[in-house]
Amino acid sequence: MATRTAAVPAAANAVRRRLEVPDRRPARMIVLLLIPVALLAVIGLGAILSASSVLAIREGVGNLYYFKRQAVWMGVGLVALVAASATPPRVLRRLAFPMFVGSVVLLVATLVIGTRAYGATRWLVAGPVTIQASEVAKLTTILFLATLVSRKETSMHRLRDFMWPVAVSVGLVGVLVVLQPDLGTALMVAFGSFAILLASAAPFRYILGGAMFGTGAAVVTALASPYRWARVTAFLDAGSDPLGGGYQVVQSLVALGTGGLWGVGLGASRARWSFLPNAHTDFIFSIIGEETGLAGSLMVVLLFVALTVAGTLIAFRARDRFGRLAAIGITTWLVAQALVNIGGVTGVLPITGVPLPFVSIGGSALLTEMAAVGILISIARDSAAGGRP
Amino acid sequence: MQPGSLRRLNARLVTVGVLLVVCWIAIGYRLVVVQALEADVYADQGRNQRLQRETLAADRGKIFDRDGRELAVTIDSVTVYANPREIEDPTTVARLLAPLLRMNMLDVLDALTTDGTFAYVARQIESAEADRVREARLPGIYFLTEPKRVYPMGDLAGQVIGFVRADDNVGLEGLEFQYEETLAGTPGELLVERDPYGRTIPQGEYEVVPAEPGSDLVLTIKTEIQFAAAEALERAIERTGAAGGSIVVVDPATGEILAMVNAPTFDPNDRSGADPVLFRNRAVTDAFEPGSTMKLVTISAALEAGIATPDTLYEIPRQLERGDTTFTDATNHPSELTVTGIVAHSSNLGTIMLGEELGARELHRVLYAFGLGQSTGLDFPGETAGLLRTPDDWCETTCIASTSIGYRVSVTTLQMAMVFATVANDGVWVQPHLVREIVDGRGARVPVDPLQRRVVDVGTARSMRAMLEEVVSGGTGAFAAVDGYRVGGKTGTTEKYLYDEQAYSEDDVVASFIGMAPIDDPRVVVAVVLDSPQRDASGGKGAAPVFSEVALAALHQLGVPPDGE
Repeated sequence: MATRTAAVPAAANAVRRRLEVPDRRPARMIVLLLIPVALLAVIGLGAILSASSVLAIREGVGNLYYFKRQAVWMGVGLVALVAASATPPRVLRRLAFPMFVGSVVLLVATLVIGTRAYGATRWLVAGPVTIQASEVAKLTTILFLATLVSRKETSMHRLRDFMWPVAVSVGLVGVLVVLQPDLGTALMVAFGSFAILLASAAPFRYILGGAMFGTGAAVVTALASPYRWARVTAFLDAGSDPLGGGYQVVQSLVALGTGGLWGVGLGASRARWSFLPNAHTDFIFSIIGEETGLAGSLMVVLLFVALTVAGTLIAFRARDRFGRLAAIGITTWLVAQALVNIGGVTGVLPITGVPLPFVSIGGSALLTEMAAVGILISIARDSAAGGRP
Repeated sequence: MQPGSLRRLNARLVTVGVLLVVCWIAIGYRLVVVQALEADVYADQGRNQRLQRETLAADRGKIFDRDGRELAVTIDSVTVYANPREIEDPTTVARLLAPLLRMNMLDVLDALTTDGTFAYVARQIESAEADRVREARLPGIYFLTEPKRVYPMGDLAGQVIGFVRADDNVGLEGLEFQYEETLAGTPGELLVERDPYGRTIPQGEYEVVPAEPGSDLVLTIKTEIQFAAAEALERAIERTGAAGGSIVVVDPATGEILAMVNAPTFDPNDRSGADPVLFRNRAVTDAFEPGSTMKLVTISAALEAGIATPDTLYEIPRQLERGDTTFTDATNHPSELTVTGIVAHSSNLGTIMLGEELGARELHRVLYAFGLGQSTGLDFPGETAGLLRTPDDWCETTCIASTSIGYRVSVTTLQMAMVFATVANDGVWVQPHLVREIVDGRGARVPVDPLQRRVVDVGTARSMRAMLEEVVSGGTGAFAAVDGYRVGGKTGTTEKYLYDEQAYSEDDVVASFIGMAPIDDPRVVVAVVLDSPQRDASGGKGAAPVFSEVALAALHQLGVPPDGE
């Protein structure tokens, strides 16, 4: 079976091998993946510089403070990307379990000794760096679920074999992050897992059941905390109370509308002047849309579409089930997170507080996301190794 | 896995990718809606929350005396305000702040504990005082610069210049009120984008319409003469025990008011304890019955009508009965008097005879021609017209008699000064005014061009001046004499009419003297009116010496060479 997982028509591969033409498709996939990632990261740096400078000056840390921090994290992330891309998928598969355990430990530690801010316990402080364990957990959970499902794929029609990997990975991490509380991360893990199951041989009825269970759990969690419920109602009727729960979304739409077709120009955002809270984190897309207009915001959308296509292609051409599931899980997580973020910013989805991948400020998130891209590259490279597995 | 199964798995995988791309298309459409189709709505909302229209205050014009001395200027003062939200311990802050501002600690505490983010603590204080507060570095205490109107000459011309409202420097009284539009200038406008903390967004729209500064006023007032008049009036009040008084000094040829003084007065810099009654420029706003000074008008009318000459001799009876009133003369004089003698001895009976010969209509005509019963049109708020009844309302019995000698008619000190100024100016009345020039923000000067009209012939005016000189040299106004100058004038002493009681007072009089110098070519007319003097309670004894003092000072200040001994 493993020999047939490669999606490329066998005849074409055979021709290539005979003509001794090197297979350029993995390289093309990697380029298709790296171009949007690199551009998004650069756009992110620029947007952070603009969005955070007013805030940074007010805080008296110098207008480049947040920009520098993100640049440093980007350097660290680049190292992680290269390291991950150089690690073969089989090694990653073996590392998946210890990494998962490690991130669960971090999540528990966060709950116990984490730093509270804005009504949530999300950060572990270690000297000069703060670690957001939930960001790391997104990747490790998806990787771990990919190993579990790839191993049990043939027996997934048995409810027990379907249940326990999902329960262990998604369930455990979900509970730990919701306790912080960080519903957004739980949602992203759920999306990634949903994609893994959807791309696997698991029966639809189980997936549907799991999805319904997850949705139910999400609604209950939302109902259980007033602030989250306020976000949902604010989303349903944003204009009714522009200074209340819907304030952020209204200001975000104002920023996007102010940008119009071509934007107000780089560094000329008005929203960053304390109108739009979290302009450099969750609402960075509004600043991009304001400064560069519809042209710029559609460009970001196009980059994410390229990322979607590249990730799906890598999954499609992955040599084995682990690579395939890990690739689609990672891709779906990254892309869904972008969709949920931009959907929230544009007022079509409730605000969930997830950052825009590669763009929003946040060291742990950027590091994890770049490592994830490294893993996608590793999987893409593996698909070429030896032509057919 | 079977080949069919692989195809199914591939289909499921592609489904995931396609679902994601479909979501992106939806997001892309939403962006087109927000940033293109409905962008204007959101952009306008943003503009509305950022754009602020602010008024830029215009610098208020200064007020100078005729020689360029500052009478009213605007300085930067410091206002102390608090942001109560930033003050955690208002009691301590109030306790530290109150002594620095020399304020009551509870008043300060009130300000520090108000709701909101802004409360005045002390407005428009001096910068030295503000510096002490600054050094204390108290939390939540801030400073702003506010323009403050100050009057360097203090109470010297308080009633003429008036004052402004402290809040916004809008003129409330006097010339500050009269010339509000001229002084205020045009406020400018600032259109600027601001963030919620009030900071200017540098990349935002910015539009400035600069404020047009107000024009300066150059007054006709000469500070030295104003000062001399104020001093003389003060001394006169002390000497006579009068309740108050007014002095007007006017240049008869130009109608320029050289001095306008009332006592008691007030300091416009600190009017906290002042009775608002003191704010009135009583020389212009209050009317009184002039009495004998009015004889100038009656006699002028008689000369003008040709029914008498200065030398026409009249047999003066001991008394005249009109209705149930008996008119007498207050002075001892020969039983025969020329017209000049009637004036010199202030003979009521002689004047009444001339007045009755003229008749009500002619007397009224001349009174009106001299500017009585109507406002002079002085550029000052609240001027009263006085009272001059139309001839139809004059009774058959006493009315002509009373009016001839300055009863039954009420006037302001200014109006009477202008009657004498008309005679001094060879019979031409020139409209009195307080502002000589208006100097706009660019330095362009607009001089005031006063109205003029002839009231009596040159000959009549000169004859009258000769009679007025006689009053001083050999009549009731001897105390008005000025060393080195030939002067003329007329005394007036009337029983004070009490408006509240609708009757004449039995104790109080209004004593006045109005004169001019030098008599051949008068350069100044000085009108002195004392209200209720208790000693020297007559025009000749109470007011005439004041005239002498003020006229001398004015002549000196104007550099008028002596023309007599």
